[in-house]
Amino acid sequence: MFFAFYSIHQSYLQSEPVMVQANTLRNLSVSRAMRRQVICLDQHKTIDHGINTIIKHKINALLVVGSQLQPIGVVSKTDIMGAYYAGLLIDSPLEYIMVSPPLFCRSTDSLETALEQMRSNKVYRLYVTDGHSEDPVGTLAYPDIVGLLYQYCHQCEYSHLNRKKQDNESDPTHRFKARELMTTGVKSIPMHETLSTVMDALAAYRFGAMLITNESGLPAGVISKTDLALTYKHGVTPLVTAETVMSTPIHTCDADSLLEEAIKTMILADIHRLFVHDGNKNQIVGVLSLSDAARGRSGSCHGCISSRIKVEDQD
Amino acid sequence: MPFGGETMKSTATSIMITEFPTLLPETPITEAIYIFRESTRQHGRRLFGIMVTDKDRHLVGMLSMYDILLYMRPKHIQVWGTMEDLDVAGLIEAAGRRIKSILVGDIMTPDVITIGPNVDLLVILDIMIKKHVRRLPVIKDQRIIGIVYISDLFNHLLERIGD
Repeated sequence: MFFAFYSIHQSYLQSEPVMVQANTLRNLSVSRAMRRQVICLDQHKTIDHGINTIIKHKINALLVVGSQLQPIGVVSKTDIMGAYYAGLLIDSPLEYIMVSPPLFCRSTDSLETALEQMRSNKVYRLYVTDGHSEDPVGTLAYPDIVGLLYQYCHQCEYSHLNRKKQDNESDPTHRFKARELMTTGVKSIPMHETLSTVMDALAAYRFGAMLITNESGLPAGVISKTDLALTYKHGVTPLVTAETVMSTPIHTCDADSLLEEAIKTMILADIHRLFVHDGNKNQIVGVLSLSDAARGRSGSCHGCISSRIKVEDQD
Repeated sequence: MPFGGETMKSTATSIMITEFPTLLPETPITEAIYIFRESTRQHGRRLFGIMVTDKDRHLVGMLSMYDILLYMRPKHIQVWGTMEDLDVAGLIEAAGRRIKSILVGDIMTPDVITIGPNVDLLVILDIMIKKHVRRLPVIKDQRIIGIVYISDLFNHLLERIGD
């Protein structure tokens, strides 16, 4: 399933909705959402230097450039985790682990086109050119798209936030909840397992973070790819137990939380994902990430009528 | 003190500071922040950057105020920064908690421009302007022998101009 935006507010309320095929994302250009800062490093810089850059700038990947500053590859946290897992020396050059070539879109492309490019290429970011030269002028990642849509919905009179201000006794809007966009089937690793096991699982399931459980099988912490990059940088062997590295507390939300609130929590607190529970924090039923929200084209909430969302079959 | 002629000091050696704190990459940021504050108190001058060395005292980086601020900057502030009605209480404290697990080496700037002791002051001025740096370690025989701060360079040049 995927969700698409439609541009007529009232259409959602009509008994027989007339969906206008004007996708909101299609009308928004990449330049509206992209970050205008491109963090890049020379291909000969070390992985250690790369981790430093990624941590300091709070980015998930950096652009690798050649001697003429031409973009030649991308190093993401996933690539760094791979190097850690493989036992690569941290002083190895970035060119050893970069993925080539970097993928580009134009600042004038529609967000819908860019999202489709990311989805079909299974990448989490694109580098942006202005169309006049090949020099990158920005980056576009899933959270940037969610952020833009959240800004729109925040201003919308139908948003959850503004509804509360208006003190309406009834709210006919059907709002998206975390459970509708979360990824189910969350995997977990016992805390006595090694980091290598955690990395195995992260790679196998293509997750960004792994839930760590205690002896009783209850959620005890989280290990993200950021945690692993730092552990690699600190010279810790991947044979230490998950318990020694995991982050606490686990950031969670209720499955019935409004998506708008969940996104707000994530963008305010620099969190990429929330583990979703069903009323009991010890029972994790899913995980909701900013990437999930972006892939679902749900900037802040489905219920917000202005978001013009219709559920369609992907086929 | 006379200025001009043969007595004029015009190289890095003349204005570099030779007593300075250093950090190790393994030092927790919280400890580094303490050293920033303590050095400022002890030496009576505000410190905005500290050199980072390995155990053999070789320079491996610089930790500046900017590095720390960069890490504290919320990742998505371009999204919510203009939303005045959002309740953002506690975010600074949360950033403070996050930084506790970070070491100096995690966020220091590894690429540091250095100068030799005999580099002319106007060359130093040029480097600082072109490279947007406010401090330059002075290296001799692979050892740190001092550091030149832009404020000292400025004050020195003011005196020379005013003479």
